[in-house]
Amino acid sequence: MIKKFFDALNQPLGRIGVLITLLVVFSAAVWGIAQTQKPPEQPIQFPHNLHVGVGIQCLYCHSGALRGASPGLPTETKCWGCHQQMAITNTSPLLKPLVQAVENNQPINWIPVAQVPDFVRFVHRPHIAAGLNCEVCHGNVSQMTVYQNPQVLNMGWCLACHRAKTEDNIQNNPGRDPAITAALATKRTKLTDCSLCHY
Amino acid sequence: MATDLQLPVFTNNSENELAGRWGMVIDQDICTGCQACVAACAMENNIPFVGEADAGYGRTMHWIRIERFWQGTFPEVKMTPYQPVLCQQCHKAPCEPVCPVFASVHSVSEDINLQVYNRCVGTRYCANNCPYQVRVFNWRDYTDARQRPELVTLQNQLNPDVTVRRRGVMEKCTFCIQRIRHVEDTAQSEGRDVRDGEVVPACAQACPADAIVFGRVDDPTSKVSKAAITSRGSHMLEELGTLPRVTYLAGGSAQ
Repeated sequence: MIKKFFDALNQPLGRIGVLITLLVVFSAAVWGIAQTQKPPEQPIQFPHNLHVGVGIQCLYCHSGALRGASPGLPTETKCWGCHQQMAITNTSPLLKPLVQAVENNQPINWIPVAQVPDFVRFVHRPHIAAGLNCEVCHGNVSQMTVYQNPQVLNMGWCLACHRAKTEDNIQNNPGRDPAITAALATKRTKLTDCSLCHY
Repeated sequence: MATDLQLPVFTNNSENELAGRWGMVIDQDICTGCQACVAACAMENNIPFVGEADAGYGRTMHWIRIERFWQGTFPEVKMTPYQPVLCQQCHKAPCEPVCPVFASVHSVSEDINLQVYNRCVGTRYCANNCPYQVRVFNWRDYTDARQRPELVTLQNQLNPDVTVRRRGVMEKCTFCIQRIRHVEDTAQSEGRDVRDGEVVPACAQACPADAIVFGRVDDPTSKVSKAAITSRGSHMLEELGTLPRVTYLAGGSAQ
């Protein structure tokens, strides 16, 4: 039985069969990986570029970033507060889900995109307080419609920034001040500690 | 050419024995053994209920437990004071060097023992090497609603600040590091230092007798430091040289 199978593989047709099988497996893998890289389908195709384009600050809608861990999403009434005042958006069919959400008093189920795993605790506040702008991590949102992560949000990327910001070099310590050197070392210990994010 | 992997180095720096930052004092003379700390800890830290079957195997999960013993021989027995036992956050922790994947590491900045859940592969060496028996293991996905539909309503009380642990990872008391971090963050945003008594772990908050005091042990003026240096203080299994960070007070007027 097994010998017969290997004999069949030795035939030209059998080899073509093996080749086709391998191709199918390979393309399935490529398709599968490509599926995981797609941004998820949102309930509304939210055009970030238009909103940033008319000069709305990130913190106007994602105001939690200034105070706490999660930047939060605006409530549907906050969206509608602006949109009902504009003739174009008031009647737009694209905003039907928003109108429905306001009328039914139901939240819009946005799919989170810039996410960290459950075992990571990310707090926005200290990052804003450290003078980082939103686009440092979230990319140029004025060029995006639906938000996409500009890079993989993994630990190596976090740590690279934490290490770079606390390195005793010419940018962080231009005057070679020993007090700043010591402060940077303390900060580095803290910013590279596991307990900073994992608990 | 050697590559610096920046792995943690285990050193015997006994000169730093007292340099620990966070510490706890538990007064056994006023502890009534009411188990409020046990319940509060489970709620704060997403500790699952394992169910009757697994509890029968001794797989109950608690980060703090109340130990009690009998003194003397029957019928002249006398109970020893209740002893809440939690992770002692040893300065020289026996659980740390045995972990093959560095999931049980020492926090350099806070000087407490950490359990990094995403690193842990569940060898359970750390629990076997812990003299205080305070590490607990997730034998199943206890918080998975698909596996345990009877507990689905409890999903709503999970603390979002704390990881929900998966099956196959070890866990233990963290001195409520999420509260420490929150208080540090608040203090930083207000431009001040963390005040003494500002960080309150769940067990200390719940204790109706205020038997648990938490604070900075490297600050000699803090409430916890003052309580720890009384003559009633002792450390659990002190002879092992683990340099625990929890001080028990016993032998006062009650005995």
